Amino acid sequence: MSIEFEKIPLWGEDIPWLSGLREKGAQIFNNIGWPNAKTEAWKYSYFPRADIDNLMLGDYSHKCEHDCHCHEKTLTPFAAYGIKFCDGRLTSEHFDLPQGVEAKSLVEAIYDGEIKKYLNKSFEMENFPFAAMNTALLEQGLVLIIERGTIIDRPIFICYHQHNNNRQLSSIRNIIVLENRAQATIVEYFEGEADALYFNNVVNEIYLQNDATLCHYIYANEARRARHIALNSVNVRANASYKSFIAQGECALSRHESHILLQQEGATAVVNGAYRLAQNGVSDITTDICHLAAHTISNQLVRGVADGKSKGVFQGRIHIAPDAQQTEGYQQHRALLLSDEAEIDAKPELEIFADDVKCAHGNTCGDLDAEQLFYMQARGISKDDARRILIEAHINEALNTIADTNVQNWLKENF
Amino acid sequence: MTALLQIKDLYAGVAENKKEIIKGLNLTINAGEVHAIMGPNGAGKSTLSYLLAGKSDYEITSGKIDFDGKDLSELTTSERANAGIFLSMQYPVAIPGVSVSSFLKHAVNAKRKYAGLPELDAAEFLKVLRTAAKELGVSAEMLKREINVGFSGGEKKRLEILQMRLLEPKLAILDEADSGLDIDALRIVAEGVNRLHNKDNALLIITHHLDLLNLIEPDFVHIYADGHIVRSGDKSLAEALEKDGYKSFLEA
Repeated sequence: MSIEFEKIPLWGEDIPWLSGLREKGAQIFNNIGWPNAKTEAWKYSYFPRADIDNLMLGDYSHKCEHDCHCHEKTLTPFAAYGIKFCDGRLTSEHFDLPQGVEAKSLVEAIYDGEIKKYLNKSFEMENFPFAAMNTALLEQGLVLIIERGTIIDRPIFICYHQHNNNRQLSSIRNIIVLENRAQATIVEYFEGEADALYFNNVVNEIYLQNDATLCHYIYANEARRARHIALNSVNVRANASYKSFIAQGECALSRHESHILLQQEGATAVVNGAYRLAQNGVSDITTDICHLAAHTISNQLVRGVADGKSKGVFQGRIHIAPDAQQTEGYQQHRALLLSDEAEIDAKPELEIFADDVKCAHGNTCGDLDAEQLFYMQARGISKDDARRILIEAHINEALNTIADTNVQNWLKENF
Repeated sequence: MTALLQIKDLYAGVAENKKEIIKGLNLTINAGEVHAIMGPNGAGKSTLSYLLAGKSDYEITSGKIDFDGKDLSELTTSERANAGIFLSMQYPVAIPGVSVSSFLKHAVNAKRKYAGLPELDAAEFLKVLRTAAKELGVSAEMLKREINVGFSGGEKKRLEILQMRLLEPKLAILDEADSGLDIDALRIVAEGVNRLHNKDNALLIITHHLDLLNLIEPDFVHIYADGHIVRSGDKSLAEALEKDGYKSFLEA
């Protein structure tokens, strides 16, 4: 059954190019159909279409009872520039950001028209059904342009908060552009109140121009019943560097897909992450890293924990194009499978069409190490504490790769 | 005076396949004593040390082990450690992601909790740790590293000694503490152990070599073969063994 996107009221229906783009997204989504067990990219983490039937689509009236504007300065857990989305809606169009950063709501950027060169230009909708849905519902989102040579002194901290009384599909599209030699750290933090029921469908289109560096840290700490699907579509130009970390807590489904094009020589990407599941949640980290030019490097280190009846999914594809000589691609996923009823699905894929490359991948999955447990107990640490410490250590192997110490410590305390 | 450790008619082996490795072992160790157990490969020396520490792969079929007035079989692995048994392993395991200092804090506080003492906070613990590390020549840099990750043989043993110093065991079992060490590293281990040994605690040294026993003087030497002690004596026994090998003792 298709979704009648045209009946959903959205801003800017009188702008022809925008309406055309939304229609195209709706069409593609409805043509692909709802992902199911037979959809290769979604076979481990699809969910029933009926689950979104009770959610409101596209109603972004602000239901938050308190003044969200006042959060912006206080919401960050460490020194950072705060930006907040409340129930899927950007709470302010005035941003406290340093010089050299141009920030706008997506609506304003669409109105200006200049965003056309970036909007929906970094991925093919046919390959990403929920990103096509996101396009059909384009309205909410943030545009950040970090100007040429600008180095931002503190992270930009974007908080997405969902309230208990809200039942909604939140469709968010952010465009992030780092011009030549710009450097920035962006943290995205998703949180939901305990009983909230919602579906966050987020698409970030990220463009890194020559010699730019972006550190992109994401922590999905969603409400237990929530679903969270995100696509990070990243274009990396010459000698630019994209470094991301995705921390996934437990919810009904949390899926982060990174689609990274290393387009020019010297482009690099680090796509690390961790997931931690104790009960019955599903976490999916899917990455597709395309080396399209020579001398490009990618690195991926992911650590996971699945206990109870939970499921962890890791799908990692590294593609090396024929011209991409002298490239390096490394991928490592290690998961702890702590119960008989938990599940880990790992699907590494290497597609190498060049001959002068260095590539390696490793995937392991198992229980805690018995020798390590014994060693700790032989020093007086109880079995339960020893298990807890080892699980912590396993996750820390991933968290330790985060360069920003504030972000690293924040995640170590809260993830 | 009751013995610190008393092993009586012990039969024990691997839990999984019921293979008996220790066959009729008797051994009594009093506080203040240093005992050495020497024996050929495969005699079950490591089984004995694991059994004392409480590794779940091993189990007692008959006989009894009393430690400091308690039946050891009633204590879990961590309880045995907290009650005062310390096993320094032949190959200490690496634990990526856990720093030496945080691991030691967990261990020290577990022991304090067991003894009914308040746990040390970070500042108090660091003070204790720094003092101990300084005494044993352990660098501050080593305390920040992950446990045994990339450690040389000597560094691993130095860390074991530091743990022993902090946990102050009543019975320290050194399982082939000399394996893989050059003479300088061996000397460091021996000096550390000698410094910690006093009239209230005891040492059980499991070794193949006289070298270590020249550095840590044993009160008793036991020759161990086929799961039990075939001969006991003083250090001269170890010297005879070094000269003639195990053969003459096994035939006797």
